[in-house]
Amino acid sequence: MSDAPAGDRKETGAGLMQYSPEGMMPFGPVHPSLKEPEYFKLILEGEKIVQVVPRIGYVHRGIERAAQERTWVKDIYLFERICGICSFAHSISFTQAVESMSPFEVPDRARYIRVVVAELERIHSHLLWLGLVGHWAGFDTLFMWVWKDREHVLDLEEGITGNRVHKSYSTFGGVRKDLPEGIGAKVTAELGYIEKRVAYYKDLVQSEQTLTVRTRGVGRISQDTARKLSPVGPLLRCTGIGRDVRTEDPYAAYDEVRPEVQTSKDGDIASLLVLRLNEVLDSCRMVKEALEKIPSGPFKVPFPRTVPEGEAAFHVEAPRGELFYFVKSAGGSVPERVKIRTPTMANLLTATEMLKGQTLADVPVVLTGMDPCFGCMDRVSVFDVDKSKEWSLSGEELRDYGIEYYRGRRG
Amino acid sequence: MTPVQLAELLLFPGLTFFVWLAFLFEWLERKTAARMQGRLGPVVAGPFGILQPVADFFKLASKEEIVPSESDPFVLRWGPALYFAAPAIGIAFIPVLGYQSVLYHPLDLLFMFFVLGFSTLMAGLLGYASAGRYATIAMGRLVVQYTSYEVPLLISMVTPAVLAGSLSLQGVAQAQAPLWYIFLAPMAFAVFILASLAELEKPPFDIPSASTEIVGGWMTEFSGNALAYVKLTKNLSYVFLSALAVTLFLGGAGGPVLTADSDVQALAYVCYFLLKLFAVGFLIFAIKTGLARVRIDQAAKVFWTVVTPLSLAQLALVILLR
Amino acid sequence: MMPRKKLGGALGEMFKTALEPPVTEQYPFGRKVVAERFRGRLDVDPVKCTGCSVCEVVCPAGVITMVPVGKKTIGSREVEVKRPSFDLYTCISCGQCVDDCRFGALTLTHDFELAVFDKKSLIMKKALQVGK
Repeated sequence: MSDAPAGDRKETGAGLMQYSPEGMMPFGPVHPSLKEPEYFKLILEGEKIVQVVPRIGYVHRGIERAAQERTWVKDIYLFERICGICSFAHSISFTQAVESMSPFEVPDRARYIRVVVAELERIHSHLLWLGLVGHWAGFDTLFMWVWKDREHVLDLEEGITGNRVHKSYSTFGGVRKDLPEGIGAKVTAELGYIEKRVAYYKDLVQSEQTLTVRTRGVGRISQDTARKLSPVGPLLRCTGIGRDVRTEDPYAAYDEVRPEVQTSKDGDIASLLVLRLNEVLDSCRMVKEALEKIPSGPFKVPFPRTVPEGEAAFHVEAPRGELFYFVKSAGGSVPERVKIRTPTMANLLTATEMLKGQTLADVPVVLTGMDPCFGCMDRVSVFDVDKSKEWSLSGEELRDYGIEYYRGRRG
Repeated sequence: MTPVQLAELLLFPGLTFFVWLAFLFEWLERKTAARMQGRLGPVVAGPFGILQPVADFFKLASKEEIVPSESDPFVLRWGPALYFAAPAIGIAFIPVLGYQSVLYHPLDLLFMFFVLGFSTLMAGLLGYASAGRYATIAMGRLVVQYTSYEVPLLISMVTPAVLAGSLSLQGVAQAQAPLWYIFLAPMAFAVFILASLAELEKPPFDIPSASTEIVGGWMTEFSGNALAYVKLTKNLSYVFLSALAVTLFLGGAGGPVLTADSDVQALAYVCYFLLKLFAVGFLIFAIKTGLARVRIDQAAKVFWTVVTPLSLAQLALVILLR
Repeated sequence: MMPRKKLGGALGEMFKTALEPPVTEQYPFGRKVVAERFRGRLDVDPVKCTGCSVCEVVCPAGVITMVPVGKKTIGSREVEVKRPSFDLYTCISCGQCVDDCRFGALTLTHDFELAVFDKKSLIMKKALQVGK
């Protein structure tokens, strides 16, 4: 194809023939295995994929610009709608970024409640993902079962936050409502059920042969490739690099409720399956632990409608990996600039690397493997050159700022 | 051909009977799969949603037909008719009323080989004529899959014929009156079921119509009436292959003679046949629901390295022990 | 330790599930009981509303417009009396207005069936009636 960079051709060793329209298979933007519009140009050699050219930006919604028009509180609800699955990760990331700019201390109870809801969200997100892998590997029964069990977690979330998906729960200075009365027993009971089911699924995905032949060794990335392309979240941890924002830079109450960072060695879809299920089990443990340790007291402090002038960078471990927020305030009632880097953006290049050398039949499984959330990603466009004057921080400056920020925090 | 024969061919136990069975099979397939997955399945049309496949068929048939500009409109229009014809003729040779089938030929088992092959050939032709990219990929997969499962399928069908010493379906069914061949040649039965799954494009071998990879497979470009008939044909093939399994391995419509009245006994035979048919159908539902889809290379590997040797071993065993 | 390989490992669970009651909710015929703090359709108590306009300011989705309904004299000044009109079709049910209403005039009900044929039927002008 004319728009494939010349360097890529040399790299894959594929001749010009493979780039003829006959060898090109469009994957998306409208495809039954993509629930969100995204376009992957697959250059095929028979059924084997030699090159992948992703094209992103189909659901670009200009959210970062829109955020500059709205007040701080309104922005919580806006950012929450970036992603339908990890909405709480977005809202805690933004609220904590803003809180770090102001002198107000978030009450301990609120920090614990945030851990509870964030971990519940991780459970439901990972279960959703497991179901989708089943679906895309042609195992619809697994899909139906997992989503059936996921309903239990969603019901818990609805009971705590008031909604299944867009929880609108975290706000500046804490959370909006206290935990409901007697939720602890209910959560423990439901999580007991989830743990039982997840243990079964873990056994199933490792033993069921039609599933293992589809996942073992498929979409494998080596640790070196992972270091080079720097994916985040489970995609990085499945190569054996145990990095997790929750332990490296604890936010909310993660310094008191410690997660056990799960890793696996193989870096293929099979190891991702086990890894994510282990994370679900760990999250179940953490929710229970957080509910036991939760201190009493206020769940919210009053927070002013304006934020003092300053900048903050904050990252949280969303279910898909590190979610990064940069917030700049000019002291007014609206943010000056908000920059978001979602995990899918970081993982996309790794996913294209995972796809190379696989067959067409593996595309849905491998793409699911990275747990894509194109709706999140397309909120920004990488090809975008920001001409706005409001964005005056260059990449170098941002990097320096980051280093300084962490030094200040640790030291 | 006498009017009675014609009625048998078209109504009972011929085409109409089997088409209704095809609808019933789709309903059963959907319902059992749904229940195994903790869902309800179709509930709206008819009692327990039993008329849902019929409703779907007429809904599809009444929809607009879109012919892609690069396709061959003639094949797209008339191909489904030929595709439908394959199992529609095949079922006429299945003995349902006792050991009597509507059409009979001393070598009709060989004709079944042709019917099965022709069905796949038509599927490939239809996919190729529709000139879609997904259909083209599906075509390639279909051919690879066909070359892998056809050999074990035919060998597993020959095994009962060797046991019975007859090449007609009636003869094979009759020869099983003392003992069903599933007990004499269990491996052949297993091979037959596996190959049927591949022939029917059901999981784990639904590779040519894998909806999550290549949209609708070779059916992608079909719509409206043509799609309705293609789907009906797939269900009819389902019934046809189950009926073949019943005839070849489960003693056909045979069973205990209950009464001297031949009409009542014929009814009993139909009941036996249906019971066995649903048993085989249910086996296929269960396998299909519980497995993930394998890749085409893995399917070919399984068929060439495991299933074909297994079927050959069974055949050799049968020839030696006979 | 790797679990042993088996084919059809899901079969047992499949038959077990088939014997359990289905979890499907036949929605229009039976409705799920939502959680106590479920955030559904917004409702307003016209008696409690004072027309202070806070909800209009905080609403992230622009649901609320303050409509002048009359005039009132406070001391020597004549001020315009306003009441909120709600365009519920843009409401995202976040409940920020409920949190910020000091008079407890706003509530989120458990009603989640907001699909209508006519968008206009989701404009709530209930509070305008008692504009005094």
